[in-house]
Amino acid sequence: MKYTPFFGCMMTTKYPQFEAAVRKSVTKVGMELVDVEGFSCCPDPIYFHASNKMDWYTVAARNLSLAEDVGHDIITTCSGCTATLSEVNLALREDSGLKDEVNKNLKKIGREFKGSINVRHAVTVLRDDFGLDKITETVIRPRGGLKVAVHYGCHLLKPSRVMRVDDPDRPTILENLLKAIGAEPIHHEKTLLCCGRACTTDSIPDQMVMDILENIQAHDADCMGLICPTCFDEFDVGQILLGRKYQKKFEIPIVYYFQLLAIAQGCDTGEVGLHLHKVSLDKLMEKVAA
Amino acid sequence: MGSEMQSVRSEKAGLNFAFREKLNSVAEGFRHNYCYQCGACVADCPAGNYSEVFNPRLILLKAILGFENELISAESEIWDCTNCYTCSERCPQDVRPIDVIIALKNICVRERKAPQFVGKVYESVMASGITTKMSSLVAKRREEFGLRPVKDVPVEELKKMIGLD
Ligand code: SF4
Ligand code: SF4
Repeated sequence: MKYTPFFGCMMTTKYPQFEAAVRKSVTKVGMELVDVEGFSCCPDPIYFHASNKMDWYTVAARNLSLAEDVGHDIITTCSGCTATLSEVNLALREDSGLKDEVNKNLKKIGREFKGSINVRHAVTVLRDDFGLDKITETVIRPRGGLKVAVHYGCHLLKPSRVMRVDDPDRPTILENLLKAIGAEPIHHEKTLLCCGRACTTDSIPDQMVMDILENIQAHDADCMGLICPTCFDEFDVGQILLGRKYQKKFEIPIVYYFQLLAIAQGCDTGEVGLHLHKVSLDKLMEKVAA
Repeated sequence: MGSEMQSVRSEKAGLNFAFREKLNSVAEGFRHNYCYQCGACVADCPAGNYSEVFNPRLILLKAILGFENELISAESEIWDCTNCYTCSERCPQDVRPIDVIIALKNICVRERKAPQFVGKVYESVMASGITTKMSSLVAKRREEFGLRPVKDVPVEELKKMIGLD
């Protein structure tokens, strides 16, 4: 089955190892990726959205229309891109007045939003279009015993009216995807808490992130597993900055789900860039590469 | 006539309906009218749980009462919302409090009362098509991972659509 990947700014310009991990792993499960030229930022669901909602709809609709021309559903690999593209896609489909207004803007560059494709995070597509068994079939090095603390982030699940992926209060999708590669998902008290990236008062995200990290420590997990490069930023480099600021010691490796998947399928840790993470993954690598 | 009646009533009640009308005119802003102050959005709001002042019900109350100066400001608590959408899950009235908060932020930006960095993200997208910057280090890394080079975004298209050309 064919899909158009939308990797977004953060992944393409800051964490190319994640893009590599997605490309390597999902194709093994059976996705065929058809790249589309000319995408811009999704655009950003926090500050661009806060600046002007009509412009947000318009820029997102242009991205959607580029993919519509090719005709395959979009897979996203970042929670932010998922939030923007899924919400705009649905809003314009639901509200023909809004669609007409946005299409007036798109017409200036000879484009039109039709609403003919779907947008889903790659993990949702793995579960729904391929299934957990199909993922397990691709695994040649099961991650037996690797304890992964799950971090959902906000926009895979919410708003559920738009995302329609899972129960936003008791989700199972990421736990099941981890079990499919033989890892042991750890659901801790703050599994569903967000990273607080959008708050302007530093103390709020600082406390949130530390609370999450402390809960993971208490559960003795080997690493934290997540599905968004922005959350990754907040927990990987963020963990080091917070440790310095509050004189705490954190040493929790942070891993992107598709890195774990690719490694389970036989990739080297270097091929998916585990060595590029700020928090050392040495101990983890011993365990996963065994 | 209708709006005259309304302004007479609003004066009596001490409400600022002019602000509510302004909010109604921004995308999704009209939803604030549906709020009946039940507080269902409060308990699981992470910004509320990690701050002394943040409370989505009170933000909605201020909107309903038209407390424009408190809401439309770079110092307003609205800038501490995490954008997590939990409140939208909880609200029985389909207010979608986060969407009302975004509408309030849109007004702040329009009236130049938003924190400076907010505009920077917008400007970056309009100037380069992305929010981040490509470095030569990452370009080299992409090559090592066998990834295609990142091409420039046709930003003139974005500007044309938005009317900035
Ligand atoms: S989105 Fe809603 S629940 Fe989340 S921080 Fe903002 S007001 Fe609170
Ligand atoms: S849950 Fe909805 S109706 Fe209740 S206070 Fe919050 S915004 Fe208002």
